Amino acid sequence: MCTGRVDPAIIAKAFKKGLDGLIIVGCFIGECHYVSGNIQAKAKIDMTRRLLKHIGLNENRLSFQHCSSGEATRFVEIVNEFDKTIHELGPIGGESDRVKGPELFRKLEAAEAVLAGEKMRWVIGKKTEFLEKGNFYGEVFTEHEFNRAIDMIIVEETEVQEILGKLKEGVQSVKALAGSLAIPSERVFRYINALKRKEMVQLETVSGRSPLYKVIPQGV
Amino acid sequence: MKDKKMLIVGGGLEGVGAALENADKGADVTIIEKFADLGAERIPRDRLIKPGEGFVKPDLEKLRNQSNVKVLPYSDIKKISRDNDKIQTRIVKHSLLVDNSKSSEATKVGIKVCPVNMYDDFDEGLSFRTAFDYYNSETGNYNIYKEDMPACQRGCPINLDIRLYAGLIADGRYAESLAKIREKLPIPGSIGRICPHPCETACNRQYLDEPISICFLKRFVADVEINEGIEPDYETPEQKYSEKIAIIGAGPSGLSCAHDLARMGYENIKIFEALPVPGGFLQVGIPEYRLPKKLLGREVALIEKMGVEIQYNTRIGKDIAFEDLKKEYDAVFIAAGCHKGLKLRCPGEDDFEGIIDCVTFLRDQALGNIKDVKGKLIVIGGGNAAIDSARVGWRMGYDEVYILYRRTKKEMPANPWEVDAAEHEGVKFQFLAAPVEILGENGKVTGIKCVKMELGEPDASGRRRPVPVEGSEYVIDAETIVGALSQGTDLSFLPADHEFKLTRRDTFEVDEETGATNLPGVFAGGDVATGPDIAIRAVAGGKLGALGIHKYLRSK
Amino acid sequence: MIYEKEKRYIIPFTDVPSSRAEMPEISVDERRGNFTEVETGFPEAVAVQEAKRCLSCRRCLGCGLCLAEDNEDSIDFNIPGEELNLEFDEVIITKGQDNAFHPIKPELGFDVYADVITDLQFERMLSPNGPTGGLVVSPLNGEIPGRIAIVQGSSNEEDEKHLFSSLVLGVNESILALDKTQDLEVALISPVCQSFKEKFSSDAEQISSLGIIEGIPESVERKGEEGPLSLTYSTGGQNKTEDFDLLVVLTKEKISPEIMELSRKLDQEIQ
Repeated sequence: MCTGRVDPAIIAKAFKKGLDGLIIVGCFIGECHYVSGNIQAKAKIDMTRRLLKHIGLNENRLSFQHCSSGEATRFVEIVNEFDKTIHELGPIGGESDRVKGPELFRKLEAAEAVLAGEKMRWVIGKKTEFLEKGNFYGEVFTEHEFNRAIDMIIVEETEVQEILGKLKEGVQSVKALAGSLAIPSERVFRYINALKRKEMVQLETVSGRSPLYKVIPQGV
Repeated sequence: MKDKKMLIVGGGLEGVGAALENADKGADVTIIEKFADLGAERIPRDRLIKPGEGFVKPDLEKLRNQSNVKVLPYSDIKKISRDNDKIQTRIVKHSLLVDNSKSSEATKVGIKVCPVNMYDDFDEGLSFRTAFDYYNSETGNYNIYKEDMPACQRGCPINLDIRLYAGLIADGRYAESLAKIREKLPIPGSIGRICPHPCETACNRQYLDEPISICFLKRFVADVEINEGIEPDYETPEQKYSEKIAIIGAGPSGLSCAHDLARMGYENIKIFEALPVPGGFLQVGIPEYRLPKKLLGREVALIEKMGVEIQYNTRIGKDIAFEDLKKEYDAVFIAAGCHKGLKLRCPGEDDFEGIIDCVTFLRDQALGNIKDVKGKLIVIGGGNAAIDSARVGWRMGYDEVYILYRRTKKEMPANPWEVDAAEHEGVKFQFLAAPVEILGENGKVTGIKCVKMELGEPDASGRRRPVPVEGSEYVIDAETIVGALSQGTDLSFLPADHEFKLTRRDTFEVDEETGATNLPGVFAGGDVATGPDIAIRAVAGGKLGALGIHKYLRSK
Repeated sequence: MIYEKEKRYIIPFTDVPSSRAEMPEISVDERRGNFTEVETGFPEAVAVQEAKRCLSCRRCLGCGLCLAEDNEDSIDFNIPGEELNLEFDEVIITKGQDNAFHPIKPELGFDVYADVITDLQFERMLSPNGPTGGLVVSPLNGEIPGRIAIVQGSSNEEDEKHLFSSLVLGVNESILALDKTQDLEVALISPVCQSFKEKFSSDAEQISSLGIIEGIPESVERKGEEGPLSLTYSTGGQNKTEDFDLLVVLTKEKISPEIMELSRKLDQEIQ
């Protein structure tokens, strides 16, 4: 299979299941059978590493290497090297990760939702176009500008997915959401208002002084 | 009233109200609003409401159905002037990128998928909205929110694409970054050192921590080129124009005008410069320790390489008559700057040797014409030229250097970082002090009589007005006194019977879109049109003039 | 200019330094008696870091995802703007929809505490079309407040007219808030309460149910990490301190610079 076909959501899912490391080995850049498959792969995996780092996973747990099919020795070297790295990092959610389990696994669940979501897929898919030809307005992006756009989506989408994930467990107040998610409560308040505007969340009831919100299931 | 054409500016409750009222009277009404939608609901501020009522809404339905009302949302007034009882306007109507008459269920999905998150301005930041969204929740008209330019770029007088050139530096693509800057700014190394950077004042990052150091990034890429010994290539277009253009003054404005015209394909551009050196105030006003003249010279040489000729030591009005210039050239751009230091206007000023205005002082120093350096130097004023004079004096070797300013440090118009640097170097400040009389003996300055001031009520500029404290006069001994109050234009190069329209400050009155003066074919820009201002605005004036000249010559 | 409010929503990115790079300089000793350039320029690594601090501010990314949702008919990214040259006989200038305001007394903690809001924000919150659908809640934590204080927010001595109209707005907002919220107490603190009561003596009954206090707010502090706001105000020559769940500051409107410029250019008053 071409590395360009690796779905970033699968990567998050793998870590969520407790994998300590994941290495993706593919053809060298410029030697792609499908012309730009591994360039696409690089964009996707770079972005996935940024996202994993953002949620608190040590990003070195994910590695992207190049090796041609004739280089058996190199392949062994790469794998051994990675094996050593993972041994040094220890088990997932432990010492070497900024966020520890089980908090990390909850965040990985949100990460999977972000990576499976169309915003991320769509924008990542546009990288080559944005950098070479430009966006719909003809603005050609630098790598830095593109990364900033991606970072923005990473931060916001992760928080939104965390909120939606929590709400799927049952109705919640803004205060309770903020308490359990480590997102500043004034931001949760604004996300909830925005999600109402998008018809993805609604006010269910008011209990005492707490308005409680509920998720509106989205059609496909 | 009938058929009277009325413009209502502002589409809030008051604007919509006024539009309806005048439309009812039969006027032909146009209402302009800068936001994408009109008419927010408001709680009354002039009477008490009863429970159960609350918001007052403008009647937008009625407005839309009124045939004699034209609505211009998302529009700006570019130019407006009163002209013989009529009001002439140029209005830019930005397009809504969504055709709301064709919106459907799919349109609603747009707001769910849009990846951009921002404060909802309409709801005063109490919520987020996406870039594809409605603005006013009540009217629910969708739009795509696309900035015309980022805040920094809008803050820059020549609208440099900062987001792009900073991004290129972040990516390590320095040469491309510099090339991008040079498309608009021919002197990036100079401006990158001395600009008071309005772009940084506008930078959004200040709301998070501190603005980006934009100005020095520009300097960085300019320095990289020099350090690596790269000779840049300017390309001029194949289409050439042969009209002769004269530019008076080789300062930032004149140089930028020449550069832009050369880039448009003009081949006969000649700059007349009174001094033996180029750069104007950049050369003889900004001291060497802030802007090395070798670097400035290199940037000027690059402009010359594009085919621009600079004739030095040529003063218009003395070496060549202005009228001859006008006859001989197809267009003239006046960029003579503000090189006249204003007087202190206190007794003794004209009686002694050793008192000098800051423009002359800095120029003479820059040209190496000051030989006699000894004793105490006193600089009077609080602007950048005062700080420059003091820091220059300190370097030249005066025993002591003082700055006398009639307000306090907080009110000083100079860049605060320059004030700090002067203090750091050992320049002494006397705040709340104003000169009363220049003292002298045997034709030479010996000191200055000052009076202490205190701050009173704020004046028109918003700064508190200094008031003298009676009986608080005192004397400081000094051998040299530099007056650094402000600068004005020196229009002695024009014939006495010239027909130019001037402002009250003796600057040229120019068209804000072309830089044209009232005389056909004559344009003006930079300090000579704006009064003393920062270099990058002079560059902007030069660029505007180049556009104006091009438009003028091509429509002749 | 396509309008953008000053307070932009910014995500802190953590991969770059938060303070700006400092320009290296030669020492003061090295400067005396010569004209050597003082600032020596950023080293490459510093310049790249500084450039990476750029947020690349951008609204619509131009990614076209909204278009891909079956909106080809209604969305077009490249409709050009239009330039119109129009002639008029008369102009009326109004203040427009900017809602800008003069600075709020810093001691009141606006911009520090999320539950200190402006009267303009409160107005939106009270609207059924607003961000909360008319529910009165604290933007700090989304909870319904039990005690709200509405106070005068500007730091300078004010003109009577402004104090008066902003108090009217404050009273109207508290009428609406009380109408919508159960078990709510509202305290209005203003220096013109007395004259306000005299002017609206015909509405005395309605006003008497509101807690209007003649006074000036002094400062605001948060009690503990998650506690209520503790407001100190001076009244009758004394300082009093009380706890509130939400503080609304009455603002003084500021006309936008372009409207001021327009008014100056045409030498005409703003209506």
